[in-house]
Amino acid sequence: MLIGISLISFFIMHLAPGDITSNENAFNPKASEESRQKLREMYNLDKPVIVQYGLWLKRMATLDFGKSFASHQKPVFWQTTDKDGNVTKGLIQEALPITLMINLLGLTITLILAIPLGIIAARKYTGWQDRSITLFNFIGFSIPGFWLSLLLMYWLGVVNNWFPISGLHSLNYESLDTWGKIRDTFSHLFLPVVIPSVTGLAGITLFVKNGMLDVLQQDYITTARAKGLNDHKVVYTHALRNALLPLITIIGLSIPGLIGGSVIAETIFAIPGMGKLFYDAVLMRDFPVVMGILTIGSALTLIGNLLADVTYAWADPRVRRGVARG
Amino acid sequence: MNHSIFRKALSNPLALAGFVIIVLVFLLSMLAPFIAPYDPNNIDVKAILLGPSMQHWMGTDGLGRDVLSRMLHGGRISLLVGLVAVGISTVIGVLLGAIAGFYSGWIDTFIMRLVYIMLSIPSFFLILAVIAFLTPSIINIMIVIGLTSWMGVTRLVRAEFLSLSEREFVTASRTLGAKNARLIFTHLLPNSLTPIIVSAVLGVAGAVLMESGLSFLGLGVQAPQASWGNILTDGKEYIQFAWWLSLFPGLAILITVLGYNLLGEGLRDALDPRSGSH
Repeated sequence: MLIGISLISFFIMHLAPGDITSNENAFNPKASEESRQKLREMYNLDKPVIVQYGLWLKRMATLDFGKSFASHQKPVFWQTTDKDGNVTKGLIQEALPITLMINLLGLTITLILAIPLGIIAARKYTGWQDRSITLFNFIGFSIPGFWLSLLLMYWLGVVNNWFPISGLHSLNYESLDTWGKIRDTFSHLFLPVVIPSVTGLAGITLFVKNGMLDVLQQDYITTARAKGLNDHKVVYTHALRNALLPLITIIGLSIPGLIGGSVIAETIFAIPGMGKLFYDAVLMRDFPVVMGILTIGSALTLIGNLLADVTYAWADPRVRRGVARG
Repeated sequence: MNHSIFRKALSNPLALAGFVIIVLVFLLSMLAPFIAPYDPNNIDVKAILLGPSMQHWMGTDGLGRDVLSRMLHGGRISLLVGLVAVGISTVIGVLLGAIAGFYSGWIDTFIMRLVYIMLSIPSFFLILAVIAFLTPSIINIMIVIGLTSWMGVTRLVRAEFLSLSEREFVTASRTLGAKNARLIFTHLLPNSLTPIIVSAVLGVAGAVLMESGLSFLGLGVQAPQASWGNILTDGKEYIQFAWWLSLFPGLAILITVLGYNLLGEGLRDALDPRSGSH
């Protein structure tokens, strides 16, 4: 599985016309063919592709993704210590927590809003509440996230000046007290977190609603109602748990989309996360960084799916027993 | 069968609205050269950043170009990219899905493994990487979006083929000595057509969004050629002085994508009443 991903991300890089040396050339037209050759040797770019892949794979097995071509030789993935004991932080090491935090916060907001909305839509099926939620869903599916970001950035950030519109911290961040730092980070994160979670809301709401509708038709719900349990109890204790189970899988599956979506959001709001790092690396033709992020991003997806499966088994006794038996 | 489903879908007001939007947007963009009031690339330094008025319904941009004309011409590009990209992904998806579903065995395992690998790579990253290295152009965008979005169709066609192969009429035909090609082209494929169309309609919505996102990042359709995405990029530069540059292209994308989503979901509902999103 991982080998397949690494193969794809590696060979895409070699589809590219030109390499880092042609970039070098653009910055310094006087660079001689000799010095470019030296650069190629330094990065093993003179070897055949298959040898390069072998070398890369070998280093990857030890989680060494090499060093960035563009950003002052920074390590791509994790920090390294040189012989003087100076620690250089890895690019992904710095960017990943930011992206993860934004996405987890966003996902939490999405779930907090989507689950009640989905339940309402299912309980008032075909009523006006359901119809307005459906309409909202369609718009949420169709609205370009970056357009919404631009408009809100303009309206909330520029016209009303309620929220800062770029970066993670204010310039005077270091001089603030702890409470001030928290407030500062929070207000910087507000727009980048809220906008994707609003656009992500549509899918999850629809999913919860369909799950609820399905479950509410089951025999055991009819039984519970026939026993005389009130509607509230039927919905929240009997139906909800079963309706929410498949949500675990959907969240697992949505990880690649979340990571991919971070490119546009982070570029617009100038957040130094994985998406921005990737975008800059692509523009700079910084192969090691691009390959590193593609591989790490895919690995995250796999881990996410695995976690989803494990959580599902933990939450649903039927699956657990099935596994034990099989 | 297809006709009745289409008719059933259009009796749903939302799907009908979607259909009308699609036809309108299509006509407006196709007729762009005839109805656009100005040349979309005509630079007029005396008319820079004018707000909407009778002369320029949607105002002018930073180079004095008429935004309405650019929107109409940009619509052609955005739709073209969307439709061709979906064409590519549908052809690949149907081929691979049909092979996997019909022949099963190792080739099925191989194709499904490929699907799983492609689904694990964040596709936006993949598209960005490929496009940036291939130098952005309309052709490249269509190909790359197509090549990275065939997985859904593959799974769908495979599932359809697997379930149809169990049905009596297929078994009967096989018993009567029908060749594989005949089975595929006269029985399995026509009967899978409706779900394929549904997924293609929804796919156009996704592809139009994807193109506008790429163009917005400067890695899609390149200036001076207009597309909704890159008009928005210009809009971003001038957002403090010229709201019309950001508002109209975004609205156009929203309405178009909404149209395809409404029609697609309507068709899906008509096909399978149980999926019930209305």
